[in-house]
Amino acid sequence: MAWAKILVSVACAAALALPGPAAGAPSTEPKALRKHTFKVNPGPLPAREKTAWSHAPYEAGDCSICHASADPRKPGPVTTSGNALCYSCHDEFQEIMKRPYQHPPAVESCLNCHNAHNSRERGLLHTELATGCKDCHRQVKEIAETSKVKHGALDQGAKCANCHNPHGTSVEKLLIQLPYDQCVSCHAVDDMKDHEGVVLTNYKKWLDENKVKHAPVQAKDCSACHRTHGGENFRLLIAEYPATFYSAYDRKNYALCFSCHNEKVVSEPETRTLTNFRDGSRNLHFLHVNKADRGRACRACHEVHASRQPRHVRDGVPYGPTGWVLKINYLKTPTGGQCARTCHDTKSYER
Amino acid sequence: MGEQARRRLILGVLGGALSGVLWPLTGSAFANVEVGQRVENVELATLDGRREMLLSGKALANVLVFFRPGHDRSLDTLKAMAVCEKEFTAKPVRWVAVVSGSHARDELRAFVIASGIQMPVLLDEGDALYGKLGVRLHPVIGIADEKGALLDYVPYHRINYCDMIRVRIRHALHEVDLAAVERVDQPQKALFPNAVPGAVAGRRVKLGEMFLESRQWSKAAEQARIALEKEPGLAAAHVLMGQALAGQGKCRQALPAFDQALKIDPGSASAAEGRRGCEGKR
Repeated sequence: MAWAKILVSVACAAALALPGPAAGAPSTEPKALRKHTFKVNPGPLPAREKTAWSHAPYEAGDCSICHASADPRKPGPVTTSGNALCYSCHDEFQEIMKRPYQHPPAVESCLNCHNAHNSRERGLLHTELATGCKDCHRQVKEIAETSKVKHGALDQGAKCANCHNPHGTSVEKLLIQLPYDQCVSCHAVDDMKDHEGVVLTNYKKWLDENKVKHAPVQAKDCSACHRTHGGENFRLLIAEYPATFYSAYDRKNYALCFSCHNEKVVSEPETRTLTNFRDGSRNLHFLHVNKADRGRACRACHEVHASRQPRHVRDGVPYGPTGWVLKINYLKTPTGGQCARTCHDTKSYER
Repeated sequence: MGEQARRRLILGVLGGALSGVLWPLTGSAFANVEVGQRVENVELATLDGRREMLLSGKALANVLVFFRPGHDRSLDTLKAMAVCEKEFTAKPVRWVAVVSGSHARDELRAFVIASGIQMPVLLDEGDALYGKLGVRLHPVIGIADEKGALLDYVPYHRINYCDMIRVRIRHALHEVDLAAVERVDQPQKALFPNAVPGAVAGRRVKLGEMFLESRQWSKAAEQARIALEKEPGLAAAHVLMGQALAGQGKCRQALPAFDQALKIDPGSASAAEGRRGCEGKR
């Protein structure tokens, strides 16, 4: 049996005689030859190579399942060209390749990523999954390797395939699900830690308990605020956001918030249009935030993911080195609101 | 509670209830105009020096794109809407981009040209419209019907934004139903090939059928065995097993396989045929 396999391997590789590196030898040439046709070895790996996975028809030793002849020494060309041959057994691809977003290399040829005979890698991939992805997606590779703040999802479990399906999906960027569903499927435990060992919030629990959701969360769009491959800011945020209760006001520090919110909401002392948090025309956002020394950061009053109260107003805010929770005691009224004896004595406002 | 506040509360409750009827998928709105409420039609100056109405009574979908210049997300959105705009050229869809009148005109023109949009750009002098609607975010898109009732409000989404706007316009045009909107808002999980129900067993059956064609009965039986191990309720795998056994002259063992297939799928012609072929050979 072993000899038969060796014979099949050698003969199939010879018979296919397609352009490619010497079987099993790593290519030094760029992978992408034409648009999405990669230079890969389509034949079986050399018999000397230790393979872990075999394609069922190849394992059965009958080349005629896919080739013109059953003779392993001379199998001839494949009976059907292109992906149609694969789909004749892999029926599920009739549905997969109808999904709105498709991976161009998969559309062009299954053989771009898979070896139809055998492989050292699961899924009959030519190379380890993440390595294969990063061979083309160089920018992601660079971000993943050089970013200050890392995302564990990139090098744990299924790696790239934790979030992406490289065949076809119903979500842009070949995401398996909308970002929120994707993120919460992992961030749903109490003991997850970041790369520096800091325990991360169980967001499934938090979001289940707090029903007033920030618009991007409600839209299931975590990537509106977080980078997923790696970043330079705290918690993989896409832009600057003060990590502390007090922060000297500088618009640059609030780049994250201003990527959606109008920065005028904290730069205009008087307004009747920019915010409902105003006393007459006195802009109370400006009053709280826009200070040269001890401006209150957005987080002082607002919960950024989800809250119990409307307008994402927090119940309380962790304050000081011990994280003592300072109650905000906010009360909304039809024409304004009030904060009762918290950071300051009870104060109310009327629009 | 003052008269004005009371009126606002009643309007809010009615608007909320109405929005639930009109568009049950919506979860948010402009700060001052709920989904289902009327957007007031106003005439505004345009960036190219004309004056235009905010809404058109002839359009089934009035698409209002609020943006600000010098803002990456606004530019991404306008570029996406430039593509979307072309898709609806021949349809009763009216597009307008609305921007605060406080920005320098040259900056605005350069930004709009870079985006490629063809829709008129309306200038909101003194941010009167922004204030009236309560536009707090950028970019944000509102969709109103021909009477000006707000059908939906969609703030920026980094993922699938264009799809979400497109399907809502098509819904306003009565081209798709709410289920289509929901499919875009809650897309199905993209299962990997081996996770698609029945995929692995189905593949084995197809391979086994190829072995049957070349009369490799034992190899076919082996594929049937593997398929049944993965999915015992797969009628086609029982048929394959029956056919592989019958091919080897083992009709006595093949009959229970055909029977099992017929039990699962009484309409299976191949199981019935296999059974008939074996009945006289027990």
